[in-house]
Amino acid sequence: MSAAIEPLVQQEAAPPKRPGTLARLLREPAAAFALVLVVLVIGAALLAPVLSPTDPFDNDLSLAMQVPGSPGLPLGADAQGRNMVTRVLYGLRVTLLMGLASVAIGGILGALVGFAAAYYRRIDGLLMRLMDVMLSFPAILFGLALAAIFGPGIQAVVLALSVATIPLMARIVRGSALAVMGLDYIEAARATGMSDARIILRHVAPNCLSSIFVFATLRFGQVILLGSALSFLGLGAQPPIAELGAMASDGRNFLFFAPHIAVIPCVAIFAVVLAFNVLGDALRDALDPRLRT
Amino acid sequence: MSEAPLLQADGIAKHYPVKKGLIIAREVGAVRAVDGVSFSLYRGETLALVGESGCGKSTTARLVMRLIEPSAGHVHFRGEDVTKVTGAKLRALRRRLQIVFQDPYASLNPRLTVADAIAEPMAVHNIGNAASRRARVEELLRLTGLRPFHANRYPHEFSGGQRQRIGIARALAVEPEVVVCDEPVSALDVSIQAQVVNLLRDLQQRLGLSYLFIAHDLAVVKHVADRVAVMYLGRIVEVAPKHALFSDPRHPYTRALLAAIPRPDPARRGGVRPLAGDLPSPLAIPPGCRFHTRCPHAQAVCREQDPPLREIAPGHTSACHFAEDLPRFDAEAGAGVPPVAARRLAAYAAARAARTAA
Repeated sequence: MSAAIEPLVQQEAAPPKRPGTLARLLREPAAAFALVLVVLVIGAALLAPVLSPTDPFDNDLSLAMQVPGSPGLPLGADAQGRNMVTRVLYGLRVTLLMGLASVAIGGILGALVGFAAAYYRRIDGLLMRLMDVMLSFPAILFGLALAAIFGPGIQAVVLALSVATIPLMARIVRGSALAVMGLDYIEAARATGMSDARIILRHVAPNCLSSIFVFATLRFGQVILLGSALSFLGLGAQPPIAELGAMASDGRNFLFFAPHIAVIPCVAIFAVVLAFNVLGDALRDALDPRLRT
Repeated sequence: MSEAPLLQADGIAKHYPVKKGLIIAREVGAVRAVDGVSFSLYRGETLALVGESGCGKSTTARLVMRLIEPSAGHVHFRGEDVTKVTGAKLRALRRRLQIVFQDPYASLNPRLTVADAIAEPMAVHNIGNAASRRARVEELLRLTGLRPFHANRYPHEFSGGQRQRIGIARALAVEPEVVVCDEPVSALDVSIQAQVVNLLRDLQQRLGLSYLFIAHDLAVVKHVADRVAVMYLGRIVEVAPKHALFSDPRHPYTRALLAAIPRPDPARRGGVRPLAGDLPSPLAIPPGCRFHTRCPHAQAVCREQDPPLREIAPGHTSACHFAEDLPRFDAEAGAGVPPVAARRLAAYAAARAARTAA
């Protein structure tokens, strides 16, 4: 026992070099692939006007429903004879903007509500019942109402999807923030005399990141699909604007004669959602110091 | 000890209302977690607060730190009422009162490096600049027996004992005068306990700290405390200098606590009669003396009159009607240092000797 209570034996080794967040992210092949894909997708969307061979509204009925691989049409043409490459590039723009904007806006507002509810228990009941009220409106119904007020368009869709994301994010953030709030390091922070904002930003929020990331990436996929549904109902992107969900719904009329019109935008949606999900997962792990080796 | 106390608690209480009913909540009672606790802490001393689980030790600590608001009573720190101050004054006060927690795994933010965790209190109080804070972090790490290169590591890379040292370094970063130690060693292995307890004592001597030391382990208390306050069911029942308390306890509950220290020697077993019954619920505190339901010396008056905490010898107070009339405390059966504690004390002493020799 006397050996066990000797002062700690400490080696004078130099501190090991730690890999940065990006290096750890790239160490996993799936994450590296997802990162490349996300960068490519965002790049393609931003550079759509440069990359596109034609104007997105340029139609040539003589080329209608040309199959992929036809001369000058690597992805074929849609029912109006518009180049699918151009349509997908422009569609990505709208779809990504819609997904990212509504997850970002709804997620940030929802997280703020969640942190406030967890930190100030006095207003917890009020805030959460308010969230329950918001939760009781289906996103589609809310989108319909907004479209009726502001007229259909991307803005109405983004607004509806943001609002529909707020209560979900608020509940998830509140749950994980409450678990963190019960830990001693929050009490230690309060004993230091820190401001509430500093405690939330430095001590509560970083420890809720993992559930926020998981939910945000999951929600991103859902939002794109919901946005497509709204477009399908004629509330979102209005023809002739290209949007992946709207393109897929247009293509369903020709599923038996020209399946590529519906399949190509669906594959694009699938790839985008998958890439963001894998990246989100990997980013969550890379940002957690406990998982560093 | 003729000087004014550094920290003085005056009848502090914390009652948690218990409500029933989903829509219209009626108050049906209150959990009296802390129910009128008074004590004084003098400069440079260690006051140990002992008692079984649920007696309100930790709640008292949090009331003193004003991490929770008291239902009644006052806490004075250098004449300033801790329970009243707000804003900048409260912040200034927080700099002088710090806390070390029980669970070293929950008391450090897993996302902050050790350097960030220790430097943050200084940043909050605008002490120094980034470079001087960095230097102070290294100084504190050295002071608490860690190495400067540990600064860039994360808490999960340390053992429990090392984490507790980090927690102590964080508490000391703002140069407090009083450190509340909320069972700082009870989550650690016995061998590590000795290291941390000795570290706390060294720091006290070097920095002139005062400790409010909360514990349930009497061996540790015997080693670190100057004075001991025994709590039962939200009240202090006896306060005495350490030696007086261990050799001549004047409250039946203190005697029961001392007698309950486990003894591995089979020959000395059987002499201890454990307390009958359970700790009463803090929802329904018994009338009269709150210990009468379990007290072997209880008489009629104990069921009716709540005994006040009164001085029975200089510096020795007890809340028992019969404090003076209790039979002589049998040192063989319960007092004295039990062998297990004696061995641990010897281990502490050996570790101290090794430290000072090194």
